[in-house]
Amino acid sequence: MSTEPADVLIIGAGASGGVVARRLAEAGYSVVCLEQGRWHDRSEYRGTELDWELTARKQWSGSPNVRGLPEDYPVDDMDSDLSPLMFAGVGGSMLLFAGAWPRMLPSDFRVRSLDGVADDWPLTYEELRPFYERNDRHIGVSGLGGDPAYPPGEDPPLPPLPIGPGALKVARAHDRLGWHWWPEPNAILSTPYEGRHQCVQRGTCMQGCNEGAKASTDLTHWPHAIANGARLLTGARVLRIETNSQGLATGALWLDEDGREHFQPANVVVLAANAIGTARLLLLSASNAHPDGLANSSGTVGTRLMMHPFASVTGLFNDNLESWQGHFGCSIESFQFYETDQRRGFVRGAKWGLAPTGGPINAALPSRAGKQAWGPDHHIQMRARFGHGASWGLFGEDLPDPSNRVGLSSTITDSSGIPAPELHYKVSENSRKLLDFHIDKASESLLAAGAHTIEVDRLMQYSGWHLLGTARMGEDPTTSVLNRWNRSHDVANLYVVDGSCFVTSGGVNPTSTICAVALRAADHMVNTRFDQQVPR
Amino acid sequence: MNAEPVEITPGDSMFELGRDRIATLASVADYLIPAAHGMPSAGEVVTAAQLRFVLRTRPDLFDPLIAALRYELGDDPSVRLAALAAHEPEAEAALQMVIVAGYYTDAGVRSRLGYQGQVAKPVNARDYPTYLEEGLLDKVIERGPIWRNPTTG
Ligand SMILES: Cc1cc2nc3c(=O)[nH]c(=O)nc-3n(C[C@H](O)[C@H](O)[C@H](O)COP(=O)(O)OP(=O)(O)OC[C@H]3O[C@@H](n4cnc5c(N)ncnc54)[C@H](O)[C@@H]3O)c2cc1C
Ligand code: SF4
Repeated sequence: MSTEPADVLIIGAGASGGVVARRLAEAGYSVVCLEQGRWHDRSEYRGTELDWELTARKQWSGSPNVRGLPEDYPVDDMDSDLSPLMFAGVGGSMLLFAGAWPRMLPSDFRVRSLDGVADDWPLTYEELRPFYERNDRHIGVSGLGGDPAYPPGEDPPLPPLPIGPGALKVARAHDRLGWHWWPEPNAILSTPYEGRHQCVQRGTCMQGCNEGAKASTDLTHWPHAIANGARLLTGARVLRIETNSQGLATGALWLDEDGREHFQPANVVVLAANAIGTARLLLLSASNAHPDGLANSSGTVGTRLMMHPFASVTGLFNDNLESWQGHFGCSIESFQFYETDQRRGFVRGAKWGLAPTGGPINAALPSRAGKQAWGPDHHIQMRARFGHGASWGLFGEDLPDPSNRVGLSSTITDSSGIPAPELHYKVSENSRKLLDFHIDKASESLLAAGAHTIEVDRLMQYSGWHLLGTARMGEDPTTSVLNRWNRSHDVANLYVVDGSCFVTSGGVNPTSTICAVALRAADHMVNTRFDQQVPR
Repeated sequence: MNAEPVEITPGDSMFELGRDRIATLASVADYLIPAAHGMPSAGEVVTAAQLRFVLRTRPDLFDPLIAALRYELGDDPSVRLAALAAHEPEAEAALQMVIVAGYYTDAGVRSRLGYQGQVAKPVNARDYPTYLEEGLLDKVIERGPIWRNPTTG
């Protein structure tokens, strides 16, 4: 295996890794990326097959613990209220993501100033807006411009996706109630775009998109990066980042699939392994020079893990809505109750996103929300539920808490024998109150839309889709890991570009923001390349 | 499953399952999803072929299924299910999953539900959205910006 030094070594080929690789390779950097997973051809996805719902619960589950693939690392989540979800492969967790692509709102970057909680970000929405817009063009975002929930800006590049009959009922209800709603922007194509097909509404997005209509960086970014010379090594599991006596990163030690060890030297190291994988690697990179982990003089690496406690509120309607079809990223959204109203007894809020309700196996099995009906009533319940539901997903802002954290397991390892991450995470009182309030309001919305029954899944365990905050940005090196350009305060040639950098979580799906921050960081690297300290 | 002659060969997952457990599975299947309201029972639908399909797709269900079907839990499906629910939720979930998956992947059952599987319906972005035709965003727009400006609070 070549050990040619790279200008930049990226660890993780997911959302943020892909964005940074494309930008830097196009700027002429020599880029190497190490990714523990592999490429997936879209013919592997099971959405077109009879076994789709069966494999969705095992081979294509969002949980690495359920999948148990050799390229996954297990997560010790015994002490966590939520189970984290992710995927290892080129494209990362985007291969299974739903495609919902909302942005954070201006207030999300200023919660300390506005609401007296948590911390402000060292950047603003306005600063990030051009990066959101550039990414939207790379990704191929479908949506409708002019949403008054956001400041004005460029319209999404593609027209909105259809919202489907369930969302239409809810939109009419919000019109009557005088509540905000808008077609949700999605990283899913409504028309053919840059050689990719438009969506066919098969509704299997969270098990991989057979059409390539849903964006993931294996489709949208890596081909460009590779065409510009980037080298992407798959089946390459990083076990630690090495540093020299100057305190600079020199590269990473990694294992191939046969367990052989390699060292990849680089001038700059970029971590893009998601908020659990990155925290794990920084902790694994402890040495005599930094016994508590790399880039951790603040002692905050791994802390402030945020995962967006989630509730779903499903309305059942008399009409057949064929709600097994339609893209799984949200069809419509509402920001009606997003901003803080102190009278509610909690701070911050939640975005609501309306989603389809899945196939027949999902409708038939007992869910935590639905009541269990076996015997002759099974058929009655099945006819009432299957295809008749519309489901609001409530993404509540998760405030950072130092005791919610990622550590290293002393008992569980991955298939290479490297300690697995261990989670300690409790849902806060603020989140519980927030969800209670939003569940009531979302129920009101669905009843107004004509639902005859409401089913609530209050705190779904397998809802840790959004992994954020474990290496936060900030101005103060004693309380944060990264500066405002995603560079480590401690290690001048180490960057973290994934969701770890989030200061607060916002109450929206985070990937458009992860990608915007990553692109901003990559731009800054290019703009300051001659000032970059590198190991000698 | 009862009526169909089950062709069982060594090395097949069905061989390891054995006729007694297959019979127990059929009785639990009939108990959970009986014939009613124009739908067939799961015992009828979850044939050996269906069962083989499910277990071939999800070999991880095999061991908990064996546990759920063990002889010691008796003849009464309700007693069996109650015991599993109380002490072995994983085995109970596997049993339910095998029955439900075998049932709802059957073409006849799907057709009675009016379900043809996940069908490709390519988006036509030129279709003018009904919500715009009905003016459902007009009031949202008229009400103006709702985002909170951090500089003014
Ligand atoms: C089922 C599901 C649905 C989701 N839906 C949405 C949605 O609708 N909207 C939204 O905004 N977000 C959604 N998300 C979240 C979204 O996928 C993530 O926010 C996003 O992918 C995170 O990007 P990232 O770059 O931080 O990490 P990832 O995309 O997770 O990529 C990290 C990569 O690093 C690799 N890696 C980790 N450790 C190592 C190591 N030691 N060595 C080598 N490689 C390593 C991993 O294999 C992985 O490929 C969803 C996630 C899931 C799982
Ligand atoms: S609904 Fe659209 S985006 Fe989702 S899997 Fe199907 S084609 Fe892909």
